[in-house]
This record gives sequence, structure tokens and C-alpha cells, in this order.
Amino acid sequence: MSTSANPVITAWSAISPYGIGRQAFEEGVGSGRVALTPCDRKTWGTRDEVVGLVPDFDLRAVLGKKGTKAMSRVTGLALATTGDLLKEIPQDHRAGLVLGTTAGSLQTTMEFTRTSLAAQFPHHVDAAVIPYTVMNASAARCAIWYGLKGPNSTIAGGRPTALHALGYARRLIRAGRAETVLCGAAEEYSRARSWFAYHDRAGSRPVLGEGCAMFALQAGPGSEGEALAELVAVDTRISPTPDRTAETVEAAVRRVLAAAPDGAEVWTACPSGADDSPGRQELSVLADLFGSHVLTHPLPSVIGDAGSASAAFQLAQVLSRARRDPSAAGRLAVITSVDVSGPVAAVLLRLSDRRGNEETSKQ
Amino acid sequence: MSASSSPPATDLRRRVVVTGLGVVSSIGIGVPEFTEGLREGRNGASPITAFDTTGYEHTNGCEVVGFEPEPFVHTLGDQLGRAGTFAAAAARMAMNDAGLTEGELRRQRGHITIGTSDAETRDLDTLAGQDLAGGPESMDPALAGRLSADRLSTAIARELGLSDVESATLTTACSAGNYAIGNGLDAIRAGEADFAICGGADAVCRKTFNIFYRLRTIAPDYCRPFDKNRQGILTGEGAGILLLESAESALRRGARIYAEVLGYGLNCDGYHPVAPDQASLTNCMRLALDDAGVDFRDVDLISAHGTGTKTNDVTEVAAIREIWGESAPRTVSLKSMIGHTMGAASALAAVAGTLAITHGFIPPTINHVETDPECDIDCVPNHSVPADLKIVQSNGLAFGGNNSVIVLGRFQETA
Repeated sequence: MSTSANPVITAWSAISPYGIGRQAFEEGVGSGRVALTPCDRKTWGTRDEVVGLVPDFDLRAVLGKKGTKAMSRVTGLALATTGDLLKEIPQDHRAGLVLGTTAGSLQTTMEFTRTSLAAQFPHHVDAAVIPYTVMNASAARCAIWYGLKGPNSTIAGGRPTALHALGYARRLIRAGRAETVLCGAAEEYSRARSWFAYHDRAGSRPVLGEGCAMFALQAGPGSEGEALAELVAVDTRISPTPDRTAETVEAAVRRVLAAAPDGAEVWTACPSGADDSPGRQELSVLADLFGSHVLTHPLPSVIGDAGSASAAFQLAQVLSRARRDPSAAGRLAVITSVDVSGPVAAVLLRLSDRRGNEETSKQ
Repeated sequence: MSASSSPPATDLRRRVVVTGLGVVSSIGIGVPEFTEGLREGRNGASPITAFDTTGYEHTNGCEVVGFEPEPFVHTLGDQLGRAGTFAAAAARMAMNDAGLTEGELRRQRGHITIGTSDAETRDLDTLAGQDLAGGPESMDPALAGRLSADRLSTAIARELGLSDVESATLTTACSAGNYAIGNGLDAIRAGEADFAICGGADAVCRKTFNIFYRLRTIAPDYCRPFDKNRQGILTGEGAGILLLESAESALRRGARIYAEVLGYGLNCDGYHPVAPDQASLTNCMRLALDDAGVDFRDVDLISAHGTGTKTNDVTEVAAIREIWGESAPRTVSLKSMIGHTMGAASALAAVAGTLAITHGFIPPTINHVETDPECDIDCVPNHSVPADLKIVQSNGLAFGGNNSVIVLGRFQETA
């Protein structure tokens, strides 16, 4: 790796529709397998045809019965993913954690109010649910479970929010507020989310996915362990209107490329693949700038729209592909994401010089 | 972990100052009225109207009454819920207050961070009611489409027509305002932004009232921080926005400088979902003072988190005593006046601290009858006092152990 001042990603973990753990994700991305399954509408209370669910994610089976009463699904996903990641890096109780979110668990929060409205007295609600009705619940619970006392933050930036989380984590490291920051994003599939998506899309039903991906970002020089990629640049901005997404993406991409090391070539560009007009504009801008042949295959078509976790999965997708492709070594990856409500983000990574990183997973 | 070294006093590019303020609160809308409210020690409490309070014994809150967004919010219509409207309105106020225009901001690289506890959870409560009454098909699409917390910061960018702007919402609950101000501080210090619009916004909602009610921490009448007979919080609402820029930029354009943001600290208890942790809070205050390059003995005023619950006030005062011993500075709680405005709380406290430095007075802790021996500090009971303030520290604590403390100072070009 270069000895620049940029922080580096040293490890990652994911729980996705491809299964639990990084290896399942790598294999899924490698094979291009479609991980969408028919939706059990009765159990979920939704009307989706197909859905990208994390298979066999019974929260209490995965995390145990102690301390998981009333836990929201999104918190379970974040806890399990963070636990996996912590096995890969040296212990550091001063580590920070930054988690991207839409608005915590909309399901748990809505159900809490629904219960209150339906009860004989409005305050007849289960106190055990309370912590999960607050939007910082997942990040805070990770801190409690794993004894992380560093900066702990929850960030909402629309679909690109995982890229915001990366930028925020980098800022904490640069300011000397943490040496290691675990960052990523999590999203759950739920009845609430499904119906909100339906109403937001004027009655069409997007194919929804879910899951969580978390990355260890560490101060560059002298950081422990094997760097997978260097975080060269992050740019986030707002598209003035949905129909101006293309020019906004282009401006973001040009700004991150301006920070590229001399002579480094772009190995891949990874779009969000959002199934809407801004998503299509993003795709065509990346194709124009880099050529269609270097684009990664959009993830939503194989695992569903993972909402605020989607950009975290894009980052995992790029790192998965780089590990299997010797030609990626030392080259650049551009990751972009857009949201119809305005947020646009671009990230530039420089992939490790090493060909294929050592397998350290203990799964 | 070493805190980041405070910038040398000579480097005006790395020193961050407040040049604009925007306020929506239950004791005053806009800077002049809010300043007056602080000086007079106004009580923002009134019976809650945001939702039907049938079935609750205690029904007071601190709502913003008579707020007209039209002069401040021009473009966004039903894309915004109440919290987003507060945020966008207070942001425009702050821009105007700083003597800046949209055109001037658009020519620079900007930064927006808004802290919130609930974003548009008030709409989520409405949707829950619609779902219960008529099933999920009957929910209002306009409300369903604006639940993402990022809308609060995006709303500001869209309202002011800013595109080259980093924009995010930090949902770190009751301390989120300080998180947002700290993020803006770091962005300007690092040269990543020319200006930052930072603060917090929240709207009263059934869900949060219900949480505190269920935890038996809603006060029956008023919020009485540090009082022997305190019984908890009143849920409140509003927005506090600060416009930040480098000292160099402010001096170059001849702006009025309210105060300097000297530093901040943030950490996590990693201990309990709802109870505060004394050692962790003490550590957070130390991190903030180190970052600010301030000796604790030079702090003139602490704006406490000061919720007025039994546990918070005892824990917070004990943490203050850990650092200051018997010579703690005067320590006030704004929540006595404006209630607990959740993610806006520490942002409104930062606005108040800035105004206190500017106008030379300490806002009071109102509704105070008798100080609890267990939180024995001078809380400036009931009446504001004139004071020459150079350094003000403002504490923020949150569910989940998300602490953040900021340090404000009177700006002097040669520190």
C-alpha cells in the first residue's frame, strides 16, 4: 500500500441475501447468483411477490436469547455483522462506530405507536421495546455488546448513506478522534418498509432487499493488518432536482478523480443500480465516463433494493471482485450512489497492490 | 487516544466561528425573540396539542405555537414534515443572520449536518393510526414518502438551492445537535468546507412522549432541573441552526462574529440503553476541553444536558464535580424553559451559549424552588444574571450512551 495519509479498509463483513458472513457474499457476487425468493406474504404482512431476505436470519438463533428480547431486526443484523468484523481486527475498545440508517427500525417504531393506540391506556407498552424505537439503537447496542467506547454515531444520507458513513469515519480518524472506525450501514425488510415503499412509488412494488455490511477503516500509515483498499476521496452533494442527477453524479465523480494518484487507472466503476430515473441517469453517466465494460453489475437486480445498506453492499461487491481479479491490484475503483430525494455520493478507492488478500475469515 | 491538537491561534483558517443563528423554539422564534426569552426566563410549557393526550395523566409539553414557515420556507411544500420545516426555516434564518445570500453560498463548498432524534416520526405516528384504522392501503403516500431522516438536511440544501454541499443527518438522539456542530467544525478545520450549516431539529410526537411516559420521566407540570422535587422532563420541539465559517473567511468579509467554536468531544458509554454513565461523561468533557485547548478552570459557564430527571441530574453534577471539585462554574439547564427538544436540544443550547457570550448574561434555570443537595451547583435559579463570559461548555447526553460536548468561546483575533 502507499504510505499516504489516507485511511485504509483493513477488513469487512456482510450479512446479505447471499447468506451470513463475508464468504457467502463473495461467493454470491462471484457467481452472480440471484438471491431473490418468493415472499411469504402471510408471515410478513406484505404483498411483495419476491424479496431479497437474509436466509435463515432468526435473530435469537444467531445472537442467542440473552439480551435479544424485543430487539428489532435491523439491530440484530448490525450486531451480528459487527461481531463478525470484530473477529478480523485487533481488539480496540477505543474504536469508533458509524452506522448508516434510513430512520432506525420503522417497523419497531410504528408498532410501538400502534400498540399504544390500540391499548386500553396509551402507556401500556412493552418497556423492552423502547431502546429499539430510537434511531441510534443499532449503533448504541453494538457499543454495549462489544464494549466500544469511541465515537459512536448514526448517519442518514438516503441510499448513499454508507458512503457518507465512510466520509464521516475518515473525518473522525483525520481529526484524531479515533484510530479505528467500524463503518457501514444496515437495513431490514419489514411490513412497514414494504408498505411505505409501495406508497412512495405510487403503488408499484420495488423488489426490496436487506442486510448489513461493515468495514474497518484505520489510519493509514502504521495501521495494523492487511489493507484491502485505500480510501482516496469521498464527495457527497445534492442534486437540485431528480432530473439533474446526471450532472450531479458527474461533478461528484470528477471531484474524486481529481484526487487520484498519478498514473493510476480505473479498474471498475460501481453504480447503485437504483431502479428509478436517477439510477438510470447515474448508470449512463458512468458508462459515458468509463465505458460500459468496466461497470460492475448492479446489485439490486440480484439481491433487491437494500435501501440505506445498498452502498455498503456496493463497497463489499467491489472488494469481493478485487480479491478474485489479479488485474485489480493497485488500480482504482469508483463507487457512486444516488437517491431520488437528492443525495448523490462518489467514493474513490485505490485497491491493494497485493494480488488476492490472505484468507483470514474464521467462518 | 490523543485528542486532536487545537489549532494554533495564528491560523485563522483552522479557527471556526459562528456568524449566523437561526432559532425556532417554544420561547421565541428568531434570534431577537429567543434572546429575550432567555433573558426573561420564559416558560415554554403548555398543554400538548400535537396528538390526542386522552389516557395520559400528565399532558404538558413545550410546543412551538404560532409558527409561520412562509417567510423562510419557499419551495418544499408537502415534501416536508414539521421537523424538516423547522430545520429549513431556521437554516434560512441563520443564512440571513450571517449577512449571506443563496448566491454567495452556492459559489462555495458547503456542509450541512442536522442532528435529530425523531426526524418525521410525528408522521410515522399518523401513519400508525391510519394503518390501525383502515389498513396499510389507507396510509397517506405523502407522509410515507418523507420518513427518511436524511430529509432534514436535504431539505435545507434544496430550500437554499445548494448542490455542491455535503449533507447528512445524524440521528444520535438527544445529543445529536452537538454531533452535528462537531462534524461541521471538523469539516471546516480540515478545509473540506467553506461554510457549515449545523444544528438540530425535532418535532413533538406521540412516540417519544410515550417512551418517556412509560419510563415515568414526564413531569406532571414543569421541568425543574437540579431541584429537590424534580420529576422529569417535558417533551419539546424546535430547531437551532448555527452558520459556521473559518475566522479567516468571517474577517475577510467583515462579518459579525458571535463566538468561536473552540472544540468538541464525543464518546460512547457502551454501558446501558437509557441510563447515563458518570465516568464516560467525565471523559467526554475532558475530550472536549482538550480539543478546545481550554483549561477546565477557565470555563465560565456550563450549559448542562440537565433533563430534570432524578438520574440525569445527579449523574451529570457528579461528573462535573469529578473535574471541577468544589469550584464548579455556574451550571444551567435550558430544558427548564424549552423542555427537552431531543435532537435540537444541544443545538438550541449552543445557540443560547453563543448569545450568552455575545450579550453578556447567563440564562436561568427556571421553575426552581430548592436545590437538591445531591446536585448542589449554582444553577442560576429563575432569573438571568449579567456575566462576562469567555468560555461556555455545553453538554449533550443521549439514550444509547451517545455523549457529545462542545466548547464555545468569545472570539479574539489574537488568542
